[in-house]
Amino acid sequence: MSEPAAPPGAQRIALVDVNSFYVSCERAFDPKLAGVPVVVLSNNDGCVVARSDEAKALGIKTGTPWFKLAESAPRVGLIQRSSNYELYGDLSSRVMELLGRYALWQEVYSIDESFLGLAGTPRELEAQGATIRTAVARHTGLPVCVGIGTTKTLAKFANRIAKQNRHLQGVCNLETMDPAAVEAIMSRVPVTGLWGVGSRLGTKLDAMGISTVADLRAADPALIRRKFSVTLQRTVLELNGTACIPHEDERADRKQLIFSRSFSTPVTSAAEMRQVMSIYAQQAAARLEREGQQASILTAYAGTSHFSERAASFPSATVRLPSPTSDPVILSRAAVGALESQVVEGVPYTKAGVMLSGLESAGAQPLFEEFVSVQERRNLGELLGKVTDKYGAASIGLGLAGMSTATPEWTMSRRYSSPRYTTEWSELPVVKAV
Amino acid sequence: MAVFSADRSRRPAPPSESDAATAAGFPSPARDYFDGRIDLNRHLIRDPTSTYVVRVEGDSMAGTGICNGDELIVDRSLTPRDGAVVVAVVDGELTVRRLLLDGQRIVLRAESPGYPDILVAEPSELSVWGVVTRCLHHV
Repeated sequence: MSEPAAPPGAQRIALVDVNSFYVSCERAFDPKLAGVPVVVLSNNDGCVVARSDEAKALGIKTGTPWFKLAESAPRVGLIQRSSNYELYGDLSSRVMELLGRYALWQEVYSIDESFLGLAGTPRELEAQGATIRTAVARHTGLPVCVGIGTTKTLAKFANRIAKQNRHLQGVCNLETMDPAAVEAIMSRVPVTGLWGVGSRLGTKLDAMGISTVADLRAADPALIRRKFSVTLQRTVLELNGTACIPHEDERADRKQLIFSRSFSTPVTSAAEMRQVMSIYAQQAAARLEREGQQASILTAYAGTSHFSERAASFPSATVRLPSPTSDPVILSRAAVGALESQVVEGVPYTKAGVMLSGLESAGAQPLFEEFVSVQERRNLGELLGKVTDKYGAASIGLGLAGMSTATPEWTMSRRYSSPRYTTEWSELPVVKAV
Repeated sequence: MAVFSADRSRRPAPPSESDAATAAGFPSPARDYFDGRIDLNRHLIRDPTSTYVVRVEGDSMAGTGICNGDELIVDRSLTPRDGAVVVAVVDGELTVRRLLLDGQRIVLRAESPGYPDILVAEPSELSVWGVVTRCLHHV
């Protein structure tokens, strides 16, 4: 989230991510789930969105409808959980804040992964990776893997190696590995095992005789650019050690949409932060609208510079929305309201962001009449978009009245939900004194 | 992630003492953070990334003032030491006990009569979830 500095000689990039993030969050508060097959289900308990290793070993695939598994679950000892995005959002922000303490710069890439800038000799970097892994486990109970390389693509690839080779103990620095071993892995892993190479692209590459990571690394970047895209050309260059994938402040994928920025001038008042949150949420809403998606969870966060000599403050809050929505009014109120009580007046915040998760296609849920907001009926979203296109993002603000951040009645089926252990006073973890 | 949210009223702040102090000629380094209210987050939470609040069920720790229904502040990043009140995993349940490490034995002790010690045979079998730093006792 902080601005990446120009890398000096020994700077490397780490990609840290949480193993089976949603499942690990459930396990962090429920020791009974350790070592048993666990799946987490999508909104409305529809289908599998996350699997523990044990569930993967049972052959359960992501996207499998729950009704197909329900009957055999007790027999195979499979435990299911509804998605508990409040919990995942809170644990995510803890992990991200902690990771930032170890890094020269940080780019939060998704709810469960972050790029970090690290410096040191190859062995020192490996030790830093182990330190980070221990710290996250101690603070949150979540297992992470750390991949280290000279570029984001290589860091991501190293992370994959760390995950798949238990003897590495969760940390892989490509530079401390035997080059022949790296080469062997690259010539075994299909090209679709790379960051940003999907199956359709994989098929096309395969037709050109480029089927493994090693093949793509050896390809001519200019040819790849002509035949495919500048994006894939960057992948080729990155595989060869030339860092060229820029920092992204805006991203959307199947799992979430992130809108974050660093400020050139720190934001130092709660009033300013309210404006920032409102604008970011409206930007994120516009993006959702364009993608034809709706969000059910909003996470708002802000932070001071890691180099700040003065007070450190990393407010973060996750709220569940009244129903899946792309309504800028609702999202803006949620973002402002969520962060409101945690922003410390006078502290110089250098970055802030809004993350929307629990995404689904608009219209996936039958909308109950009372949850269709007046604004939605009037298509205010579209109107706001037009106004901001014309006059700029700061030209239109939404009022702050009305939406309480108390969790609204959620109309969806969440029959197998664990408590919101860290965000609801009435749902704290119970410890037995017996 | 605040466990407690300090109630910051939205009214414009009256001129504060720190402004007055500055006007009187000695700058205050705390000026930017002057906030007349005590913020429990600052005093009760050493590190927000590792701090959790849990609720007690049962009376086995009543002798140390931890009663049924009380909330505990737990720091998962602290190293459990001899004599610490900890949340340990016992038979898959989060359980609050006092940890005793006297030489050879590892004991999870209750603080009320009638609750037997839980003996942990091997250090590898001890699973401490976190260390209790505060009890928010309901009086």
